[in-house]
Amino acid sequence: MLLWVVLGAHLAGIGLIMFAGGTQRRLDARAVFVVAALPALFATGASIRGLSQDTATTSRVAWVEGLDLVLALRLDALSALLGLIVAGIGVLVFVYSAGYFTESSAGLARFAATLSGFSASMIGLVWSDSIWTLFVFWELTSITSFLLVGHKHVDEAVQRSARRALLITASGGLALLAGLLLIADGDTGIALRDLEPTTGTAATVAAALVLIAAATKSAQIPFHVWLPGAMAAPTPVSAYLHSATMVKAGVIAVALFGPIFKDTDVWQPLGIAFGLGSMIWGAIGALRHVDAKLILAWGTISQLGLMIAVLATGSAKATFAGISILVAHAIFKAALFMVVGEIDVRTGTRDVRKLGGLRTSMPVAFWVCVVSGASMAGIPPLLGFPAKEAALEAALGVDGWQRVVLLVGVVGGSVLTVAYTTRFVLTVFGPSDSGEVTDVAPRRLPITAVTTLLAAASIVGFVALDWVGDGVRSAAVLLNPGSEVYSLIRWPGLKTAFVLSMVIIAAGIPLGWFLSRRTDDIPRPLGADGADRLVDEVLSGARRITGRVQHGSLPVYLMTAVVVASAASVPFIAAIDVDALRWTDGAVVPALGVLIVAGAIGTVRIPGRLGAALGLGSVGFGMAGVFVAQGAPDLALTQLLVETVVVVAFVIGLGRLSANFPPVGYVWRTLRMVVATGLGAAVSIGLAGAASKPSGSAPVSDFVDEAAATGGGNNVVNVILTDVRALDTFGEVVVLVAVAVGIVALAQSGRAGAGDDTDLDPEGADPEGTPARSVDEVAS
Amino acid sequence: MSGVLILVVGALTAIGTYLVTSRALSRIVLGFALLGHAAVLALVTAGGRAGDPPLADRLETSADAADPLPQALSLTAIVISFGLTLFLLALAGRQRQLSGDDLVEDDIEDRRIAEHTEAEQ
Repeated sequence: MLLWVVLGAHLAGIGLIMFAGGTQRRLDARAVFVVAALPALFATGASIRGLSQDTATTSRVAWVEGLDLVLALRLDALSALLGLIVAGIGVLVFVYSAGYFTESSAGLARFAATLSGFSASMIGLVWSDSIWTLFVFWELTSITSFLLVGHKHVDEAVQRSARRALLITASGGLALLAGLLLIADGDTGIALRDLEPTTGTAATVAAALVLIAAATKSAQIPFHVWLPGAMAAPTPVSAYLHSATMVKAGVIAVALFGPIFKDTDVWQPLGIAFGLGSMIWGAIGALRHVDAKLILAWGTISQLGLMIAVLATGSAKATFAGISILVAHAIFKAALFMVVGEIDVRTGTRDVRKLGGLRTSMPVAFWVCVVSGASMAGIPPLLGFPAKEAALEAALGVDGWQRVVLLVGVVGGSVLTVAYTTRFVLTVFGPSDSGEVTDVAPRRLPITAVTTLLAAASIVGFVALDWVGDGVRSAAVLLNPGSEVYSLIRWPGLKTAFVLSMVIIAAGIPLGWFLSRRTDDIPRPLGADGADRLVDEVLSGARRITGRVQHGSLPVYLMTAVVVASAASVPFIAAIDVDALRWTDGAVVPALGVLIVAGAIGTVRIPGRLGAALGLGSVGFGMAGVFVAQGAPDLALTQLLVETVVVVAFVIGLGRLSANFPPVGYVWRTLRMVVATGLGAAVSIGLAGAASKPSGSAPVSDFVDEAAATGGGNNVVNVILTDVRALDTFGEVVVLVAVAVGIVALAQSGRAGAGDDTDLDPEGADPEGTPARSVDEVAS
Repeated sequence: MSGVLILVVGALTAIGTYLVTSRALSRIVLGFALLGHAAVLALVTAGGRAGDPPLADRLETSADAADPLPQALSLTAIVISFGLTLFLLALAGRQRQLSGDDLVEDDIEDRRIAEHTEAEQ
């Protein structure tokens, strides 16, 4: 229950922000971030409590009974660790936001509410305990991310970026849904921790789909193009969604589904291909850019690639290493993004060529960057180092082709990582191209406090490595029981992995230093144009289809619906039993039928509106005759009254319209005839089919006896109307009153607007006084 | 349910649909009226074979009576379709007053989307 209360607290916070943010004027607008931080703080507390407990807390709410759809949350070592990252960094991001924005920033309440909504979705995602809960929260993070990327929505470039992000991640969501449907179909169950390993064709397809979903969410090539564009979001969003949390959802999915898919043919190769490809390509991208935030975005693609490659490998050691990197990365990458945001708001630019002298003017930011960057590069004594060591150990630990591929990929990618980290620190804090010193605005306390805290966390994490290692181990054990024996090692000694680490650092730093002096602007990431074209094509294709289907002609809409409805009668053809049908009850009914049909044809064929009205009258009076023949005098009476009024109204009303119908084209008329005949045939078929299978006889005697005995009336139909269905009849009278009021209003507004009453005089509105009376007569 | 009436219901539906897909509002009103008749007739024929009027004091035996329940339902249907017909007529009159004719125009927003698409190509 606690788990749902935490999510409910987020909703309450959002409500409060939206309500108070719109009305309060006395408090600082940034107070909304305090409100938004409280639920996140609550979630942090819940996660810490979950970490300290040995048993899992679960909470299940039935969503759709009988469909096996439950909303299930679970707090165990794994989800508590992930929840701590999400909620803990969330709290820091809200504090940071209070420093990043100024009081005059626009839309702060909207921003804080959406960010809090994202926070709740992400916490729900990491806490979810059934595949459907996971899917729902997965989609919610996509949507809130779209809203956050598009926060400055007046800018067209921002709109494009937000749309690109949404289209790619939402398509991934569909792939995830398809994959989950495939596995849920089998016997694996839907509880995330209890999924059984599966193999076979369905499982292979499902594995590929889940991996594709993970790749879209975690910005792996070739789906990575949305992430650099998402940097259009305010920096708190980038620090939270696009480094620490949302992009991790893909990594988390690989971790969660790894145990069930690792035996399929596709899981390992595809996962490692996504991961290593992104690791290398992302690092190359990070080396090319001159926008500090873009450098970090590409670095994120690279780091996520490392995590996915390691986790997809699936060995116990790899699972342990993957979770370690996930924890370390959340801490150092959030700090780096926040520093870039600080540089942005204090200097007004993120272009590393223009930034100069920041090392002396922003010393805290510099040291935060050095510490967090070193952690990212895997340099001791920081938390990133043992995590990177664990990854190298994992690569060394596997057999076969994976060993070579992983080693080459991880080592190569790591060299590039060290290089772009070095280049990032050198270019951002080194001299500008022109040699000028950048003007720096005063320090903002919340930003300094939060970034310092995160940098300190990278150091403390290394100091208290046993504690971090225990947390990671108990999480990894839930995914792969073999992880039990591993721990994070502070000083491994001269082992292969350590030597490799040193080689990586020794090769990477000079490379980064060399490339830091080459800062030519690389305008667009490779592949972004193609992705944008694809997005444009999808959107214009959607518009084309809408334009074609939704052309605006009401008759065509109607005919489409009629054709579809007619098709529904096809199954009834087989049900018709000609022998069971009676043709008629007495000779007078066919004669009346001819009168009715002739009148109906008359409404179409007789030229002029007056003739059409007379044709309608003939139908109505024929109907009255049929009612008499069927033994329904009440109906006949009502029909006669109603028909008289309708014909009079038609004559009065139509007299004011032009005398003749406009001409219609031959083809159009024929098409309408065919469609209309189709529906007529369909209705006849349906009725005949139903009539062929009578379902017993009606309790007529009961009605007649009861009407006299308890209803106190001899006219059974009237007793039914006034006693059995009294409320319905009352509603019917209300409808007629509404119609009468409507007609009077239409007539009077016409007069007021036109200034005279030549078009619709009071008589036009008069006849509806009669129907209310006629109902009274009938009912009494 | 007699075969003749089933055919009459079909014919009324067909002609009603034909009229409803027209562009002239007065024809659409006629079509609605015919469709209403078709529905009522279908209800009444569904009541089974013809019988004596369901008036308790005049029946020899209650077993000969026509089923009163479909009749009661039909009565409601007749009155409601009557109200609808009159209201549509008033709308047609108003439309004529505003635009000079009683033709149904294409939906303006939909048209705009379609034209926007054509202009793009």
